[in-house]
Amino acid sequence: MTISRRQVLSLLAAGAALLGFAAAAPGPAAAQEKTLKVRFYDDPAGFDPASIFRIENENIAFNIFSGLTTYDGATGKIIPDLAESWETEDNLHWKFNLRKGVKWQKGYGEFTAADVLYSYGRIRDPKTASPYAAELANIAKIEAPDPYTVLIELKSPDGNFLHQVANYHQGQIVNKKAIEDAGDKVRWNPVGTGPYALDFIDVNARIILKSHKEYYKGPAPIDTILFQIIKDENTSTIALRNGEIDLVMRANREEHLATLQKEGFKMNKVENYAVALKVYNTAVKPLADVRVRQALAYAIDYETINKAVAPSLQFAAYSMLMPWMDVYSDDIPKYKYDPEKAKKLLAEAGYAKGLTIKQLSTSAQGVTELQQFEIDYLAQVGVTMKMELVDTPTFNQRRNAGDFETATRLLPAVNPDMILFSYLHPSNISPKGLNGARYDNPKLTALLEGARAEVDPKKRKAMYAEVQKIAMTDLYYMPQYANNVIWPSKQKVTGVKINYLAQVNFYEVDVK
Amino acid sequence: MLAYVVKKALQLVVTTFGVVTLVFFTLRLIPGDAASAMAGDTLSGEALQRLREQMGLTKPLIVQYFDYLRALAVFDFGETITTGLSVAGLMRSAMPITLSIAFSTIVLTVAVAIPLGTLAAFMAHKGRRALDNLITGAAMVLDLMPGFWTGLVFLLFFSLTLKLFPASGDVDIADPANFLKRIALPVLVLSVTQIATMARITRTSVLEVLGEDYIRTARSLGWSELRVLFRHALKNAALPIVTVVGLSFGSLLNGTVIVEFIFNIPGIGSLLVNGINSRDYQMVQNLIIFYALIFVTINFATDLVYRKLDPRVTF
Repeated sequence: MTISRRQVLSLLAAGAALLGFAAAAPGPAAAQEKTLKVRFYDDPAGFDPASIFRIENENIAFNIFSGLTTYDGATGKIIPDLAESWETEDNLHWKFNLRKGVKWQKGYGEFTAADVLYSYGRIRDPKTASPYAAELANIAKIEAPDPYTVLIELKSPDGNFLHQVANYHQGQIVNKKAIEDAGDKVRWNPVGTGPYALDFIDVNARIILKSHKEYYKGPAPIDTILFQIIKDENTSTIALRNGEIDLVMRANREEHLATLQKEGFKMNKVENYAVALKVYNTAVKPLADVRVRQALAYAIDYETINKAVAPSLQFAAYSMLMPWMDVYSDDIPKYKYDPEKAKKLLAEAGYAKGLTIKQLSTSAQGVTELQQFEIDYLAQVGVTMKMELVDTPTFNQRRNAGDFETATRLLPAVNPDMILFSYLHPSNISPKGLNGARYDNPKLTALLEGARAEVDPKKRKAMYAEVQKIAMTDLYYMPQYANNVIWPSKQKVTGVKINYLAQVNFYEVDVK
Repeated sequence: MLAYVVKKALQLVVTTFGVVTLVFFTLRLIPGDAASAMAGDTLSGEALQRLREQMGLTKPLIVQYFDYLRALAVFDFGETITTGLSVAGLMRSAMPITLSIAFSTIVLTVAVAIPLGTLAAFMAHKGRRALDNLITGAAMVLDLMPGFWTGLVFLLFFSLTLKLFPASGDVDIADPANFLKRIALPVLVLSVTQIATMARITRTSVLEVLGEDYIRTARSLGWSELRVLFRHALKNAALPIVTVVGLSFGSLLNGTVIVEFIFNIPGIGSLLVNGINSRDYQMVQNLIIFYALIFVTINFATDLVYRKLDPRVTF
């Protein structure tokens, strides 16, 4: 990009004249083609399913790619996508019957079983170094007897396998030729079979998606989606109120939500999207005692805190799983606010005189309102909560290494098994995985592994219920709140259904 | 003069090498790396290690260092770790935007602050305190307002209430009218603080020279007050002002970081913040070299102007 001398001169002259500079009239109305302007809240990091991260990038990929299965935006249930149907009798052998006549974007021809084999092979190939390789590691054999059938044999039965092949991360099907054509720029040249194709990207300013006219369900109602990068939420709120954008991808500040609601904007919302857990590192002495962990839970009135801090964004939660999950069980110990009980338990554990606990958090967030309340509630039962603030990458590194006393984690997932395994299975104890509390209870481990392999849905559900009961009794992880994801929009924007991975299928979105 | 320039150029090379080495190792001493910054809530253990490999973070440090130096020697700034895009390309598109903002701010600041400061000094000199106090007081208040707060207030007032400037949208120099509309508010926000500082400095240094003999002489020759003030007083008071203009360019570059975030301008400041947050060593290293070069160049230019203004200054 070069600037001519004339431009420099005009810039300099304008610099002095800026004060008197008034805005011109707004641009002409949009042409016949429908365009939707959406706020994108961070720098895009690329859209290669093998290495994609963060919800905002996943939202783009979700609309470009397809999986064998996908998630219903309203219910979170698994529904067919590239596979019209599937069969399994033992959760070990899976047969997928593929949809015929599905076309790749950008003229890459027809989708077949070979693409599925290539995509999964690419994820599992150590050379790809995909962080999602483990999700497909259970595949023993995969073959395509004909272009529209995929047979998969697993190493061990997995009742949750349909989640692994959904339109998410490793489940997104790519095209071999398109990957080879893109060379080392795969992440910026995604080619999929979804309703929208990537048309243009400027990583500092905007992403433009165009409707994929040959999408198997027919073209999407909107022709162009323009994602404008606006990081500051103050700015994005003003941009929506000014009419510069139609839809805000995620608004996280209660005061902005209140303003927008008052002014009559639409509050598109998914409730109980994920639960924020406080992780107790049980390698630290006081926290190794279950009575101390339970006391901390009784001491804090999360119900009241959440109502005070962010009534539209946070609800009190009592489980590691969400009520909408198919194996969710309500038969668990719930730690409702009871300071007297907290004091009694602390005294029994030998901490009648009180104790001090350090909470690791990020300086970017500072001490949140929720944490200020926690500090106050804990002080009332003699517990001092000290904050340890470090910058975000340091925080991530220490949290992954399990180097903290308490920290919080929020893991979005539709697959309940993935949450339970990540947090509770001994093979995932930090630094190997997300089990930062170092939970290792052989009884629960056996149940967890058994539930995964169980074919009878009734038995399976009962085993998961038992897992939830034990986990909440041992309380290595304490739920603080379930959070909601809100995408405010103009009234004329319809069909914004946010699924439980905080993604929107733009195929269903229209502008009236 | 030639000897001076050569000496400066050599200094520049040594300085750059020092900066490069220091930045390279300091960045890697900070805990956390690009992989852990990116992986956030969901990844750890083996998956994270794979990501590190993908990003080339598992090579020995010294190998990475020499790779970097080798590339730098042929002006190859490489690709960002997190996005795999050309660092030079990103800087090329961001630089004109930030420099336009900084430049416009300086022009606006000089145009407003120097007459204001001179006027305040003149009033103070004449013993008419009211206007002087007003200007000095206002400057003090403006100076104390933090940029992020002023930015937000301007955004609410000029964009939401008056609808004069958009809060979002493309920032493209190829479209000058729209470009100016997008950088107008950031320039105003930055100018507010700069004007306050520069007006105060101007007032002080002009007030000092107004008491000098040669001003009295000039007046006794019957020249107009304006001519005395701007031709004689200001010229002699210019040295400290030039220093401040030079220095303020440095602080301006810092200021752009904040306004670029608030007004959502894809400039160098945004690149730097993102680079640091995502531990994108490649991005940050090269940006810091660029900043160092700017500072050295500005210093050099200030020296030259000094010499022009005051022949007694030697190097």
